Amino acid sequence: MTTPPTANPPPALEVRDLSVTFATERGPLRVLDGIGFRLQAGRTVALVGESGCGKSVASLAVMGLLPPSAAIAGTIRLEGREIAELPPDARRKLRGADLAMIFQEPMTSLNPAFTAGDQVAEALRLHQGLDRAAAMRAAVAMLEAVRIPEAARRARQYPHQLSGGMRQRVMIAMALACRPRILIADEPTTALDVTVQAQILSLLDDLRARTGTAVLLITHDLGVVADHADDVVVMYAGRVAETGPAAQVLATPQHPYTVGLLGAAPRLDGPRGTRLATVEGTVPDLANPPEGCRFKARCPFRIPVCDTVPPLREIAPGHSSACHRAPLESVLEAAA
Amino acid sequence: MSALLELTDLRRHFPVRDALGRRRGAVRAVDGVSLSVAEGEVLAVVGESGCGKSTLGRLALRLDDPDEGGIRFDGQDLRVMAPAELRRQRRHMQMIFQDPYASLDPRMTVGQAVAEPLRLHGLVPRAGERARVAELLARVGLRPEHADRWPHEFSGGQRQRIAIARALASGPRLIVGDEPVSALDVSVQAQVINLLQDLIREFRLAFILISHDLAVVRHVADRVVVMYLGRIVEEAPAGRLFSAPRHPYTRALLASVPGAGVKAAPLQGDLPSPIDPPPGCRFHTRCPHAQPVCRERDPPLAAGTTAESPGHLAACHFQDTLPPAAPAADHPGGGERLARLQAFFAPKPDIGTAA
Repeated sequence: MTTPPTANPPPALEVRDLSVTFATERGPLRVLDGIGFRLQAGRTVALVGESGCGKSVASLAVMGLLPPSAAIAGTIRLEGREIAELPPDARRKLRGADLAMIFQEPMTSLNPAFTAGDQVAEALRLHQGLDRAAAMRAAVAMLEAVRIPEAARRARQYPHQLSGGMRQRVMIAMALACRPRILIADEPTTALDVTVQAQILSLLDDLRARTGTAVLLITHDLGVVADHADDVVVMYAGRVAETGPAAQVLATPQHPYTVGLLGAAPRLDGPRGTRLATVEGTVPDLANPPEGCRFKARCPFRIPVCDTVPPLREIAPGHSSACHRAPLESVLEAAA
Repeated sequence: MSALLELTDLRRHFPVRDALGRRRGAVRAVDGVSLSVAEGEVLAVVGESGCGKSTLGRLALRLDDPDEGGIRFDGQDLRVMAPAELRRQRRHMQMIFQDPYASLDPRMTVGQAVAEPLRLHGLVPRAGERARVAELLARVGLRPEHADRWPHEFSGGQRQRIAIARALASGPRLIVGDEPVSALDVSVQAQVINLLQDLIREFRLAFILISHDLAVVRHVADRVVVMYLGRIVEEAPAGRLFSAPRHPYTRALLASVPGAGVKAAPLQGDLPSPIDPPPGCRFHTRCPHAQPVCRERDPPLAAGTTAESPGHLAACHFQDTLPPAAPAADHPGGGERLARLQAFFAPKPDIGTAA
C-alpha cells in the first residue's frame, strides 16, 4: 500500500482529458468531461462516486466497449501506447489479453450453457492458442488459483450450480487467465454478502501482488477504497472532483463533495443515533449542466468564483482537488 | 417497555420438490425464532442472504403464514384472527421494501398511491383526502404538488420517500423495513435514514429494520438480532452487540465490513445449504473456535455468565470463554478537521427539497 509509484516505465494505464458524449433525443449528453488518471503496474486505483458520476462509462471507454453512438475524445494509453484511436479489430484483440473486466453480477456475465471450466478455457484457447486439453488443464489451475475448492469438480459444473461468491471467482479466473496488464473490476462485490466480499477483495489483492496486474476498481464504498486501493479518483457529475493517495484523500479530503460523502456514510466506529451529515439536493442534469463547478448548488462553501470551472490543482504532493476553495483549511480559518 | 409485537418459536419451512413434484426436504428459512419489539423501539435483524431475515419480516406482518409458532400484536393472536379483523389490524402494521422502483404502481399518481391506505381503512372523508396526502408528502420532505405526478418522474430517493408516506398514511404502530435504504446512493441514503429516525421518534413507531448493512444498523438500531441459517445466533442491545460481540459469527460479520483496515477475510467458504443445515451448532463448519461438542449439540440462545447485559444472548457453547473480540482497528479517520468541515453539511429540516 505504501510503495511509491515507480516513475520510469510508462504507467500500465494512463487516461488524459477523456470525454464521452452520447447522442440522445434531448441532445448531446456529455457524461464524461475531461477526466484523467494514471494506474501503475501492480497497484489499485479506485474510481468512486455515486450513480451517474461516470465511473462505469470511464471503465467501458478504457475497455472499448461503449456503443458506436458514444463520441470519445482524449487519450487512453496502455503501457505508453495510444489505444483510443485503434480500429475495433485491434481493440478486440486487447480485450481478454491485455485488458480484462469483471462485473457486479457474475450470473449475467457467465454463459449459463457452458461449464465454468469451458468458459475459463475459452479465453486461453482464443488468446494463447492452447489446444482443448491443455486449455482445460490450465483452466483448472486458474480455478485453483482463485481458491475454488475441488477445482476439477467445479470446472465441470454450470454457473447455476455455483454460489454467488464462486461465480465471481470464476469470472476472476476468466479475466486473469491470459495475465492481462489491467483488470477493471466494476463493483465486483456489490451483489455479494459481506463475508464473501471480504474473501473476493482479499483474493484480488493477492492476485495483484503475485501477477503485477494493475487493478482499476470501480466502487461506491469508501470502506472498500480505504482497505484495498492505493490511489483514489473521486468523481462527480462526469468530472474528477479529487484524486490522490487513498489514505490521504479519506483522512484529509480537499473537495467538499468528498467531505460530504464521508459524512453521509454511517461507520462502525462513528457516533450512533445522531443525524447523518447529508449532501442536500441532487446531482445536476448533465443535459443541462450548471456553469462552473458542478457541485456548487449543493456546496456549503460556495463563493462567487464557483461560477467558473475549477481546475484540478495539486494541493499536496500527488493530491489534487478541483475546488476553488481548496485547501479547505482556508474555509475553517475563515469560519473561526 | 411492553412488547407491541411478540413472536414465539416461529417456523417457516418451504418445501423443495424435484422435477416430478416429489417432496425432497425443505428450506428451513425460519427455524425457531422468538423475539419482541416495543413501541418506539428499532429492532434490527441482520444476516447474510438466505439467513431467513426477509421471511421473518413477512411472517411478523402475517404476509406469510408460519408453519408453527405464535404472533401476537398488541396482545392479540394474529394467527387465529378472522380475515376481516386481520384486515382491520393491518392499518397498524406496514412494510417498506428495498426497491422503490418495484413497490409503487406505475399507473397510480403519487397522490393516489398515498391516498390508497386512507380509503382502504376509511380513515379520512373524501373531501379531506387531498389535504391529508399533502400533509403526508410534506412530512417526508416532498411538495404537495408532487401528488399529481407519476412515480417514474422521481429519483430513487424520492420514490422511497413516497413509499414511506404511503406506509405512514394509515397511522401504523409497527413498520417493517426490508432493506429500505440499500438501493440508494450514500448521500441519498443518509437523507432517508435521517427521515426514518425522525419519524420513528415522532410517532413512537416500533420499527423492524431488516438489513445486511452493519454500519447502518449500528447507527439506527436500539437492539439487534443476528440470524444464521434460520436461527438467531445473537441478540443484544445495539451498543453491546457492536462493542462486545459474543458469537463468533457476529464477530466475523463485523470484521468483514470494509473500512476497518482488515485485509484478510475472517471467514472462508460459503453458507451451508438451508435444506440440510449442519448438525449441532449450525455455524460449526465455518467457525474458527469449533470444538467436538459443537458438532453434536445445538447451543441454546441464552445469556452467558460473563455477559454484561442480561439482554445479551448468544447461541454458542463457548460464549463465556472465547478470547476477547478484536477491538475495531484504528480507522484512518479525519479527526477534528473532518468533523469541523462536515459540520457545514449538517442536515437541514426536510422542507420539500428532498432528493
